[in-house]
Amino acid sequence: MFIVRFLVRRLLQGALIVLLVSALIFTLLRVVPGDPVRLMAGGMAPEALIEQIATDMGLRDPIYVQFGRYLGGIVQGDLGQSFVRPANGAAVGGASFNDSTRGERAEVWDLIAETAPMTLQLALLAMVFALIIAVPIGVWGGLRPGRWPDRFALYLSSVFVSLPNFWLGIVLALLLSVKLKLLPAIGYNGFAYTILPALVLAVEIAPFIIRTLTVSVAGVMNQSFIDMASVRGLTRNQIVFRHAMKNSSVPLLNLLGVQFSMLLGGVLVIEFIFDYPGLGLLTINAVMQRDFPLIQGIAIVTAAAFVLINIVVDLCATAIDPRLEY
Amino acid sequence: MDRRNFLRYGMMAGAAMAAPRLNPDFFFSSAYAQDMRPLTFLSAENITGNWDPTAHTTLSQTNIEGFVMGFLTRAPMRPDNPDEVVYELATEINEIDAHTLEIKLRDDVTFHDGKPFTAADVKATFEYGAQPDRPKQVYPGPTETFEVTTPDNYTVIVDTSKGGYGASLFIFLASYLPMLSATDIADGPGGMLSQRLNGTGPFKFVAQRGNDTVMEAFPEYFRGAPKIPGVTFSFVGDATTRMLSLMNGQADVIERLEPEQVETLEGEENIKLSRLVSVENKYLWFRCSKPPFDNPLLRKAAAHAIDRSVIMEIMGSAGEASSNFISPIKFGYTDLDNYPEYDPEECQRLLAEAGYPGGEGLPELEYITSTGFYPKTKEYGEVITALLQEQGFPVTLNVMEVAAWNERLYDRPGGGPGHMVDCGWSTGSPEPDLVLRTHFHSTSKRICGIEDPEIDAALDEERNASSLEARKESLQTNLMPMLAEKVPALSLFTSVLIHGMRADVENLFIYPDGMSDASQTVMG
Repeated sequence: MFIVRFLVRRLLQGALIVLLVSALIFTLLRVVPGDPVRLMAGGMAPEALIEQIATDMGLRDPIYVQFGRYLGGIVQGDLGQSFVRPANGAAVGGASFNDSTRGERAEVWDLIAETAPMTLQLALLAMVFALIIAVPIGVWGGLRPGRWPDRFALYLSSVFVSLPNFWLGIVLALLLSVKLKLLPAIGYNGFAYTILPALVLAVEIAPFIIRTLTVSVAGVMNQSFIDMASVRGLTRNQIVFRHAMKNSSVPLLNLLGVQFSMLLGGVLVIEFIFDYPGLGLLTINAVMQRDFPLIQGIAIVTAAAFVLINIVVDLCATAIDPRLEY
Repeated sequence: MDRRNFLRYGMMAGAAMAAPRLNPDFFFSSAYAQDMRPLTFLSAENITGNWDPTAHTTLSQTNIEGFVMGFLTRAPMRPDNPDEVVYELATEINEIDAHTLEIKLRDDVTFHDGKPFTAADVKATFEYGAQPDRPKQVYPGPTETFEVTTPDNYTVIVDTSKGGYGASLFIFLASYLPMLSATDIADGPGGMLSQRLNGTGPFKFVAQRGNDTVMEAFPEYFRGAPKIPGVTFSFVGDATTRMLSLMNGQADVIERLEPEQVETLEGEENIKLSRLVSVENKYLWFRCSKPPFDNPLLRKAAAHAIDRSVIMEIMGSAGEASSNFISPIKFGYTDLDNYPEYDPEECQRLLAEAGYPGGEGLPELEYITSTGFYPKTKEYGEVITALLQEQGFPVTLNVMEVAAWNERLYDRPGGGPGHMVDCGWSTGSPEPDLVLRTHFHSTSKRICGIEDPEIDAALDEERNASSLEARKESLQTNLMPMLAEKVPALSLFTSVLIHGMRADVENLFIYPDGMSDASQTVMG
């Protein structure tokens, strides 16, 4: 039962990774400057009240005690409540120390569950766009190593990777949204609002896919079984699409897994520029507001997503190439 | 099961679970503006999550209150007539004597929940808003210093004889405190008051959806139903994003334009700009409750080291020169003769007199400022730092993101973090005490932490004046010159409020505190 052994082993490893990430984030948040209680209570709150709130919330306990308590909650599926966000999910600030709505703070899990699908949608579309851009160019370059398609793929990758995403986002918004009125740019009110930020992300990801494909296709095309294929009478197209592409897809798959995980956890700048209501925007606001439970929750969920995506990628890779063992 | 079948069945199960969740409307939604759409207003600041208007001093939420809530009076606060008061829910305000004010109310107003607006609501609002535990406490004094009586449903008598101050103070405060429902107030701070806005204004609060505050036209508004169906007020933190939204038609009005954005938008034919001298002054606050700025000589020396004309060059269209501790559109403003001007020689003389010739012997000083909230704070902060260093002040500039700066902003026992802090202060009324008493009286001293019996006495004297004329004289000849002498803070300039809006937005009246009156607004 390879599949059971594989899943048990990888899930246990993943749980350990998530635990380490949680411990690291939890500790870092508590040693960086910026007292969340003062942000919660308001700048005008007296010191005694600040201490009282902090003590009541357990924020003056030793870090290991706080972490143990937090883990206890996670085991029961409870990521805690946001320090500052009300249940309606608005980004808030300037709340007063006697803010009577504090008891109705949003559940961290609910905030993540509301925003994660938005980021998932953005990441998936970005991957689709990136593949549409990168696969033809990468394969074309890989089939003609050292010649101009290869150089074109290299130069294009260099240009793409040099473009700052915040700059490209603004330029594309000006061009496609302001001037040509083709696409909406800001916020979210339907699928069309995902296209522009996804395009920017695609340009960011495409160079890595192009380079990976160029190198791996060129490598596969140099192998002896490709020569044998032509001796067997297969056409060039059959050789490329059935053999070269399939064998090149394993490194591509690994790359896509990593890129997708990074998109889920790190589309901060793009979501901020386009005011796209996903995990990235949620993270930025949480960091700005020192919303510890929310930052921790996002870190844990994205770490878990990273682990799961990599498990799926490895499964797919072994399905393509049974010689691989993970 | 082998790995291929595991993947295959896994994908099929995932697709089966996802299919029922697909929304066919998902792929089809209008990207651009439609006819009879609500006004979309993009704000630079987030809200608090508690709708009680006395629970915060947050400008964005105050702007929302401007659409939903009613006020006894409104103060347009234009530079040519800063003291003007326009009646809204009140029809008359009469000074019966020095301590008695009579307020007559409209009799055709209802709250959004259907209850009629009466004198009982005014009484409850005044008493609630003056409680010392309210973060946006409405001075001149706590509830026990005045008495409100209601001879009939539409007459309110305010008697301030217990507090000993002039009743005329309530005239300007009436433009600052939104009228709340007595029923909501009776429910307590944890009740309906904090759960939603219930006003008498032209727009009715509907819901908070993420960062969008949704309001719809109130058909029973006493001046007639608004011409637009509603207002959507949204927090968008990035200035460029707000500008792009205006340019592509997704937003109708955006606030807090940076000077560079003004230059960009001036060339756009579909966009117009509104530039108003605001109620907000920007200050360099000295931490007066700890060394070395507990010494007024050093504060004055630092003030003379700062060339405010350079700051004005940096601010461009976003700043207006002024020489007082309040904005020129506040009651009592005057350009003070003794306001500290750039004078390096006087700075050196004062440093020597304080025992620190050329700055020698001064401790390391920290100047805290923010970035991303107010325009150009980092840029002019660097100039101020350089100017102070030039005179011998060993200053280090600490530029912080907003949350960290906000956490360090207010005075604390022992003086609060840093030695100087950059911050503005904005209040929606011509009443100067909302700035002066809030910051410089020893019972409040929000940021600078000053405790000075002479300033307290001067503040009490102007507050207790028997008429507005007497107050103005006391402010201009006693309190304000005294503040310029003791310099608990240096007002650097008056902020300018710049809004960008689509050219087809007409009749949107913007107040200098950022509130807007959209009751007569039409679009397209």
